[in-house]
Amino acid sequence: MDGVLPYIECFALLASLYLLLGRGSRATRALGILGGLGSLAWIYVAAGESIIGGEGVGREVLFMIFGVIAVSAAVRMITHSRPVYSAIYFVFVVLSSAGLFLLLEAEFMAFALVIVYAGAVLITYMFVLMLAQQASSPDNITEAPEYDRVAREPAAAVTVGFIFLTAVFGAIYQGVDRLPPPAGEIEKNIARAEVLESLTKQLRSSIEEVEPSFQWPPEADGNQNIVFADDEGIYVIGKTDAGDHQTVRLGTSAGPRNTQFVGWDLVGRFPASLELAGVILLLAMFGAVILARRQIEHGEDDLRAAVGMTRLFDYEEDDSSDEEGSSA
Amino acid sequence: MMLAVAFGQLALVHYLLLSGVLFTVGLVGFLCRRNLIVMFLCTELMFQAAGIAFVAAGRYYFDFSGQVFVIFILTVAAAEAALALALVVLLYRRRPSLNAEDWRDLRE
Amino acid sequence: MILTSCFNSMIMAAVGDGLPETLPVKMDEVRVATEHWWAGFILYMPLISLALCGLCAAMKVKSKLPAWITTGSLLTSFIFSLLLYFDYSGTPELIPILSWINLDWEGGSFAANFTFYIDSLSLLWVMFVTGLGTLIAFYASEYMETDLGKGYTRFFSGVSVFLFAMVALVLGDNLLMLYLGWEGVGFASYWLIGYYYQRPAAVAAAKKAFIMNRIGDLGLALAIYLIWATFGTIQYDELMTVVADGSWKAGYEGWAIDLIPWFLMLAAFGKSAQIPLYVWLPDAMEGPTPVSALIHAATMVTAGIYLVARTYEFFLLAPESLHVLAWIGGLTALLAATIGMAQYDIKRIMAYSTVSQLGYMFLGLGVLSTYGAAYHVFTHAFFKAALFLTCGTIMHGFAGQLDLRKLSGLLKIPGWRITSIAMLIGCLCLAGFPFTSGYFSKDAILAEAFITQGPGFEALGWIAVFTAFLTAYYTFRVWFRVCLGKVEYEPGDDDHGGDDHGDDHGHGHGHGEGFHPHAPRFAMNFVMAAIAIGALVAAVPYFMPNHADEKLAGGWVADMVHDSTARGGLPGLDRHGVPLSEFDAHHADGHHDDHGHAHHTLFGMDAHTAMYVISGVVGSLGIILAAWLHLFRREDADRLRAALMSRWWIAWLPRAMEHKWYVDEFYLALIRTPLWISSHVMYAFDRYIIDGVLVDGIARIPRMIAKWFQPLHNGILHSYAVTMAGGVALIVLLMILFLQFWNVGGAG
Repeated sequence: MDGVLPYIECFALLASLYLLLGRGSRATRALGILGGLGSLAWIYVAAGESIIGGEGVGREVLFMIFGVIAVSAAVRMITHSRPVYSAIYFVFVVLSSAGLFLLLEAEFMAFALVIVYAGAVLITYMFVLMLAQQASSPDNITEAPEYDRVAREPAAAVTVGFIFLTAVFGAIYQGVDRLPPPAGEIEKNIARAEVLESLTKQLRSSIEEVEPSFQWPPEADGNQNIVFADDEGIYVIGKTDAGDHQTVRLGTSAGPRNTQFVGWDLVGRFPASLELAGVILLLAMFGAVILARRQIEHGEDDLRAAVGMTRLFDYEEDDSSDEEGSSA
Repeated sequence: MMLAVAFGQLALVHYLLLSGVLFTVGLVGFLCRRNLIVMFLCTELMFQAAGIAFVAAGRYYFDFSGQVFVIFILTVAAAEAALALALVVLLYRRRPSLNAEDWRDLRE
Repeated sequence: MILTSCFNSMIMAAVGDGLPETLPVKMDEVRVATEHWWAGFILYMPLISLALCGLCAAMKVKSKLPAWITTGSLLTSFIFSLLLYFDYSGTPELIPILSWINLDWEGGSFAANFTFYIDSLSLLWVMFVTGLGTLIAFYASEYMETDLGKGYTRFFSGVSVFLFAMVALVLGDNLLMLYLGWEGVGFASYWLIGYYYQRPAAVAAAKKAFIMNRIGDLGLALAIYLIWATFGTIQYDELMTVVADGSWKAGYEGWAIDLIPWFLMLAAFGKSAQIPLYVWLPDAMEGPTPVSALIHAATMVTAGIYLVARTYEFFLLAPESLHVLAWIGGLTALLAATIGMAQYDIKRIMAYSTVSQLGYMFLGLGVLSTYGAAYHVFTHAFFKAALFLTCGTIMHGFAGQLDLRKLSGLLKIPGWRITSIAMLIGCLCLAGFPFTSGYFSKDAILAEAFITQGPGFEALGWIAVFTAFLTAYYTFRVWFRVCLGKVEYEPGDDDHGGDDHGDDHGHGHGHGEGFHPHAPRFAMNFVMAAIAIGALVAAVPYFMPNHADEKLAGGWVADMVHDSTARGGLPGLDRHGVPLSEFDAHHADGHHDDHGHAHHTLFGMDAHTAMYVISGVVGSLGIILAAWLHLFRREDADRLRAALMSRWWIAWLPRAMEHKWYVDEFYLALIRTPLWISSHVMYAFDRYIIDGVLVDGIARIPRMIAKWFQPLHNGILHSYAVTMAGGVALIVLLMILFLQFWNVGGAG
């Protein structure tokens, strides 16, 4: 990979972003859009060197579609003068990244993203926007306020973005040569077998479907793995009713699904993090409740009365507080 | 299962580049937008970008911790959204403006 | 004459041939007397009293309870002291009370425990300390009654602290415990001098006393260190053994033994108010009068005498220090007497007479008359306490009036008879009127000054005799002025003694009219009478037989000294194991060879006999002079003063005397002013160089740098975000560049 090329790509991309950020003429914006798309294509071509070819052509196309939608929606999100539209464009970003997740065989995450982000979080944003949004002036309610229309120092922001993006690109291009090889079929099969072995209920029902005479639990002969897998399917070693050792072959569909993989990883490898995530959510809820509640000044007596307590001592009334109250 | 489809270095690089672009867009948006809520939206965008990078890397290694991390990102993003929006509401109650520059006096 | 023969026998004893052989060597007979464990209560009772007084303060007791607590505790202490005395077998004993410091290491050890060293010296001191403490606390219960409440409790707490420290000082078996008590009494003295802390004069006096004492304390600390470094122990019994057998001389070289007595002297001069550190004592009279009586006349100020007596062996090792001791004592006695002559404040006169009498005691120590010094301490404690207490009563009754020109004829005012008579007794003793206690104790010192050989000791003796004349004069100047003559008085303008009956008679504008002296009641009268009688009876011990050795001069008091550490100063006793220095040679010469030697005679008589006559005559002359100038023809005194002041060649004398010889001013100019100037220079240096240039200057550099970056902190979220993100981006970029560099390096 040529050393300077990625930086020029970045520059082109961010220059078009700059054009889009500035409130220029229609032509400038068109130039920005074209430049942006062009530089995206350039990046894609430079990274992949070919668009067409191989078995994964359909995937490539889908990736391009989702990627372009995501980036365009993101750019539109940061350039749109109305926050509500920004939020809606963000929904597009979320949806297209959900599509990318599907391409990455992360079905569970894709739907979780749609539900949590597009469904819950964005709706919250919408609510707050509706609550807090205001027109720039009472007589012109259609126009967005000035601070939403004019970007703040886009040049500085784009410069920082350029530095950051070149850093990321540089890292990716340099690091890719030193990446360990991708997981091969062997590793995948081992992972599938291990997870399936843990999912005893699913394993048992799958076996019973295929071989009713299989004696549960499966039993290995010697120190073999009980469950192992290859491209064809998954194999389980056990005994028949007759007492003979046998290997049952299950179809690939009997293997664990994406959600099962994720779930197993989540509770098997990161239980403490899972607990912590719960605590974070709880505290966030407390925080939000405490921050957003309207401050109502309760007297001490009210508070006592609220918890069913009576006064312990009758202090003399403090005159100063009365004065303060009257002066206020 | 579409296990036969290879997910090579090239594919990973594509996803990572996309993630970097998205992140940068989010960053630029955070830096140049003035609306507090849009700024928070931009942080969410950056979370998205990070999530894509995680899932892609996990796919590359056939390791599902990438996706697990996305779950945590979702958690943190949700918590952040809740708190940040509560703060925005609080600020808005004091002065009806979402302009970040109107709150310069908070530095004291 | 029986009396003369009695004197002769005593003088025989005083010059005592063959005494060293007959005096038992006691040091290796020190025994541990655990059966006297109850002696600890002498120490504990003041402490208990302090705790109870603290409790009273906490509970805001508004009655006289603290006084009764203190008096009771001190009485208990006194009773235990008496028991200890009657149970004392005549050989020094150690009574372990508490473990404190016990260190042992290879080649040395350091032990300082709360152990009592009981010998006759400490018994003498502890008896009059606790006894007078009890009486004076009782007196104070009435004297301090106007301060009932917080001040009352504070006062008696202070007294308890003082007694605790004093008992520790006197009874301790090591120098560290002595030091503890030494500091403790200094602290209690500070506490009580500054009792009227609203008055600037009292605060200044307290500070002055404390600072002067600190100078002395430094000497004591250094002396203790040197003693330990030289002799390897600070316990009296072991020290005596070590000094006596000379074992410390192995491997010893240097100057420590020459320095030790000088440091000890510094300490003693600080605590006992001698030249050059005496100036605090007259000012200390700002404290309540019972405190002046107890601490600054009877007990604490004699701690210096005790210290010297206790460490006498070190003085004998470096005999020239004794000469200095004697001279300083004699000169202090003279100086203080001349100042005392010219003062008008009766309490201040008493203070100067205390300094003067302490000078006598040091003179006694210096001329090897430890029994004389000890006896004078003993008698002085009584008669000076009596004098101070009468002064206090007058102050109490006349709303703080202390000016002897404004008081007259007290004897004839109803209710003041006991006061006047007690004062007369005190004055007689102080003046050395024949056959009073002060007469005998002073003679014991004066005669030894003529007997003992030393540089100019004969002149010193005459100085001391002249001082005795002055003493008699100024003492009776007070008594004739205040107690005799026609009844006339002016109340003081403040409630000096805390006496406050301003509502009724408004003493601010009364010249006798409308003002009724506030006559003492039972407690004060009782105590004054008791102490005055004690002052008279204090003459008796001089004639009581020694229980150890009949031939010893000084009677019971000499008995009290002779088996203690101070016995080296007894007439006729030689030190053993000490190389015969020049002084000892004289000593031995004077006392052993022939007592008919010229050194021992004065006007053809034996020195003691002569001194009885001389001091009797001199004392009477002083009294007669005082009677002339201050009783019969008071106007002559003023005329004499005017005549003196009008002649330039003599006018300086009364002026200097009235201004206390300008010693305070001299100290101010010599010590305080340079300190003040240097402190201001240092302050300026600190303020402008250290603080200004170094500290602030250095601190200003980051501030200046920060000024450049300050605009970044503008409260705009974006600029923070830009900075942060840009910083992160830069860091990432740098890391990548470095990675590339490493890559290249690795590839190359």
